[in-house]
Amino acid sequence: MTAPNHLLREGLTAMIHSARPLLAALSMGAALLAAACQPGQADDGVRIAYVSNGVDPFWDVAAAGARAAEAEFGVDVEVVFPSPATAEVQRQKVQDLLVRGINAVAISPVDAENMTPFLDTLTEKVHLITHDSDAPKSKRRCFIGVDNYEAGRACGELLVEALPDGGEVAIFVGRLEQDNARLRRQGVIDALLGRPADASRSDAVDAALSGNGFTIVATRTDDFDAARAKSNVEDTLVKYPELAGVAGLFAYNAPACVEALKGAGRLGTVAIASFDEQDATLDGIAAGHVLGTVSQNPFQYGYESVRILKALCEGDESVLPEGGILSTPPTVVKKDNLEAFRAKLKADIASGSGK
Amino acid sequence: MTTRLSARGLVRRFPGVLALGGVDLDAGPGEVVALVGENGAGKSTLLKCLAGLEQPDEGSMTYEGGAWAPRSTADAASGGVALVHQELCLAENLSAAENIGLGREPRRGWMPLVDREVLRERAAHALERVGATFGPDVKVETLAAGQRQLVEIAKGIDQDARVLILDEPTSSLTSRETARLFELVHQLRADDITVLYVSHRLTEILELADRAFVLRDGQNAGHLTRDELTRDAMVRMMVGRDLAPPAARAVAGEAAGAPVLELKELVSDAFPAAAVDLQVRPGELVGLAGLVGAGRTELLETVFGLRAPVSGEVRVEGQPRRFRGPRDAAAAGLALVPEDRKLQGLLLEEGVRVNTALATLDRRSRRGIVDRAAEREVAAAQVDRLGVRTSGIEQVVQTLSGGNQQKVVVGRWLAAEPAILLMDEPTRGVDVGAREELYLLLERLAAEGLAVLFASSDMEELLRLADRVVVLHDGQVTGTLDRSLATEEAVMELATGGGLEAEGSTTI
Amino acid sequence: MTNSSGASLAQPDAGSRLAGWGKVLGIFGLLVAIVVTTGAMNPRFFGAENLENVLQRTALFGIIGIGAAFPIVTAGIDLSIGSVIALVATCLPPLLDAGVPAGPAVIAVLLLAAGLGLIHGLLITRLGLQPFVVTLCGLLVYRGVARYIVDDQTVGFGDSYDGLRTLATGRPFSIGALDVPAPALVLLAVAVLAAIFLGRSVWGRWMLALGRNPTAARYAGVPVERVTILAYVICSLLAGVGGVLFALDVNSVQPASMGNFYELYAIAAAVLGGCSLRGGEGSILGVVLGAAVMRLLYNSIVLLGIPSQLEFAIVGGVLLLGAIADEVVRRLAEARRARERARARTERTT
Repeated sequence: MTAPNHLLREGLTAMIHSARPLLAALSMGAALLAAACQPGQADDGVRIAYVSNGVDPFWDVAAAGARAAEAEFGVDVEVVFPSPATAEVQRQKVQDLLVRGINAVAISPVDAENMTPFLDTLTEKVHLITHDSDAPKSKRRCFIGVDNYEAGRACGELLVEALPDGGEVAIFVGRLEQDNARLRRQGVIDALLGRPADASRSDAVDAALSGNGFTIVATRTDDFDAARAKSNVEDTLVKYPELAGVAGLFAYNAPACVEALKGAGRLGTVAIASFDEQDATLDGIAAGHVLGTVSQNPFQYGYESVRILKALCEGDESVLPEGGILSTPPTVVKKDNLEAFRAKLKADIASGSGK
Repeated sequence: MTTRLSARGLVRRFPGVLALGGVDLDAGPGEVVALVGENGAGKSTLLKCLAGLEQPDEGSMTYEGGAWAPRSTADAASGGVALVHQELCLAENLSAAENIGLGREPRRGWMPLVDREVLRERAAHALERVGATFGPDVKVETLAAGQRQLVEIAKGIDQDARVLILDEPTSSLTSRETARLFELVHQLRADDITVLYVSHRLTEILELADRAFVLRDGQNAGHLTRDELTRDAMVRMMVGRDLAPPAARAVAGEAAGAPVLELKELVSDAFPAAAVDLQVRPGELVGLAGLVGAGRTELLETVFGLRAPVSGEVRVEGQPRRFRGPRDAAAAGLALVPEDRKLQGLLLEEGVRVNTALATLDRRSRRGIVDRAAEREVAAAQVDRLGVRTSGIEQVVQTLSGGNQQKVVVGRWLAAEPAILLMDEPTRGVDVGAREELYLLLERLAAEGLAVLFASSDMEELLRLADRVVVLHDGQVTGTLDRSLATEEAVMELATGGGLEAEGSTTI
Repeated sequence: MTNSSGASLAQPDAGSRLAGWGKVLGIFGLLVAIVVTTGAMNPRFFGAENLENVLQRTALFGIIGIGAAFPIVTAGIDLSIGSVIALVATCLPPLLDAGVPAGPAVIAVLLLAAGLGLIHGLLITRLGLQPFVVTLCGLLVYRGVARYIVDDQTVGFGDSYDGLRTLATGRPFSIGALDVPAPALVLLAVAVLAAIFLGRSVWGRWMLALGRNPTAARYAGVPVERVTILAYVICSLLAGVGGVLFALDVNSVQPASMGNFYELYAIAAAVLGGCSLRGGEGSILGVVLGAAVMRLLYNSIVLLGIPSQLEFAIVGGVLLLGAIADEVVRRLAEARRARERARARTERTT
């Protein structure tokens, strides 16, 4: 039996029969490509890819930080916002950048657990660090970001402070697959229930949680759809008319809460604790509709990522933080420090767009 | 006489319909057995039962002395009963050989790969037996209708069929192809193969059949042996009564005045080398004759604006007109009843009202809103005028018989009060009884002053209806025969491209 | 037959009446079932606030669903709806910021949407491209353009333009305790116009006819190309209306995620409401009910405390049930037709 021969012959005949025009087009395309890109024009400088986990104003601020560092340290920075924000798209973007001769990558992995093998192969070719959301089991050199659990606790404390008698609280978030979302949620819950800090705790989504006067009635995800985020809040308000507070864990969640509460005429009667610094959130703090927001200082993410990667590229390992984690302290923004925060944010963004 | 395939008391029910109400049939080796009946008489269902497409609810079938109950066409074919479909079921993108072997491809050992050499050989052998002049590698899409038929029959031969069922095999064949098919049928009979032959064309049955079974309304209406086979006998059994002889034109036409439709050196895109001149006067019935592919349909479509003319002009009431589409043509007073009413004519799932009003909706509307009363009125008027047999103007046209469906399409255009009616195959798929009604209708319309230009493949129809027969060959007018001179022989002579100088014909 | 249910052209006929009305009745039954189940398990469902919420969302999705129905009626499809929504929603805030008054700005983005529909229609009719391909490319192109225009920034209206925003967030009048959301009025207007167009107008009839059989429609003198183009223009225009209302409603337009998958919600509403993807059938009332069913499902998932993770499974399951029910109804109608045919034959022979 000469199966391979047969296979080969069948395959070739079929291909030649059906693909003659295609082959012609391909060979032409190849010729064009060869003419267009001369190989070997790789540049010797440091080229850094700064990869977000999606598209959001939060990342615009982080990108500004990266740009500021790019100008300061004289390196090339490629900022990439993958969309749709899936692990697959993130991976493809990074692979494409590798082809373009990138030598360092800072990434916020969408799915830390499952992307670890891929991240490990990356470390063989480039200097790799994570930011915003960690992949602790990978061989990344370090992680830059807030301690999301602590940030979550800070967000929860805002509600504890505003609601001394406790009450029903609902949590809204884009999706729960991400490490940072899970940690933030756990932080909010632990702060509300008055539990001691333990980042390794993990409560199920439909678990009945109460204590310290608070009841966590629901955690609703919206897959990054702002309209869904709003309708989730509306429906939760109907289901839990006694709702005392809400926590929005992603940047757009608090603005969605504001809109939903405004529509239901309950703005001011339901407390909102927020994450990040969307304009609508800051406006809400100014108007007194939002208790406050936990800012992760995204500018620092961008700036520090570029600083550390540049040093690594030049063989300087001293920049690596102890324990491999560089925690940027979260800033809690409330009405009293709002103006100062806004001014700094504006200055940061301006410094990043200076290039 | 030995029996190879037989059916006893077959019953097949569909929801609300008794398609077969206890039908008997038998056929022996080396015999051509015809199956005759009007549309809906149960012929197709009977064939489907024999070939495994349908399973009878009651009754029994035997084949070669054993019980016969095929569960599928593949099942039937492997037993030796092959069905050649009325509408050819070939994959046009594949070659003749690939079609012949479809579903039974020889494999290369254990691998899921087609053994092309074996397939080609087998196909070449089968094609040779059916007398095909083309090879197994030809793509089916390049074949003419008759050649495709041969591929289907070759497929049956390749399956070692001992019973070959031919369902309306000549409906899309030219007369030459038909003649070749007949030779093949005779040869198959000589090879001891049983041929079950179904056709509307009674002349074919007279020529071919050894015996005929006549069905009516799902029942055996009678059986005719070779000696008893006559046209009258078959028709009597099919319709259950005697028909008036369809020879003479019933209503005398009175063509008068200047031509309302004139074609001046009109060249259609299908035949860029052929320019057509033609005139139709009010009250005149002009027939377009020709073989399949002679360009009759293309000519009508060019006149009606469905195809852009390459050159030349269409004049309506003396005015040269240029139609960008059927809409323009209809506005100028033309109407076209197309060849394939299911594909080109009707909205099958809709009712008589919707179908009748379709071409004249803008006339029956106010400020863009359909005037439903006017719509109902026009539908009812046409149903009345044409004698459409329906339970009401909302009856879904799918449920009408072929003749009544055709009347609905005609009614749609009569509602537009055209000056010129173009018809492509006016009675294709219409029952014998309804056919006569349509003829009378056309004659009446002509007598009322309508100019009618119709294309037909049915010689009887042409000779019965036409005041003049214009014969096309390869898109070219090869002659025009006045009623008195139009005979079957004369028309065929011109249609086959010969005898441009035939006696009595005016050559162009 | 009310004009809002132009389900089939031949309504008074037994067979198609069953098919046409059966679909609308079927979807209505589904709606009632969801309402009763959810209401029984959580009486707050019937609270005015919740009904307003559901009405609001039904209105927004109903409008784009009605749009989606038009290409479907012509046996086509429009996959670009979500991206048209994103593009329109992204263009509106910058226009307003640039100082264009609200009225002209809204009209400008709606014209943009209608223009995109015109391009779809021209590509489909004049070039003969397949609707699936044309609008799939639209889906990609408009999303990209939207993201490029605002450089992936989230845009919104802030606290300005509250006047304009009442179009989406306003409650112009009340029925008892229920404050009727403004978009519900927009939906009502759109639905009535669409139903009259599809059920009563010459152009609507032509559209249904060409959906049934484009060749026959052309042979009958229907201006097939123009009617097809119109279907895509209406679809994109209504997607534009939806885009404006969505943007005004959420007040936060993220060009990368705004309206993602909304074309599928719109198509699902249309199909659930009795539009056949085979073309030629469509009921505006059905589409509105279909959109309502989809929104009610999402609503009841939250009200019944079903985990978010199960959402798609539940919505998909209900859609599948709808499709199965539709097929069953179709077969019943067919059986009825067959009986009718048999009766006609008996009449003929007697």
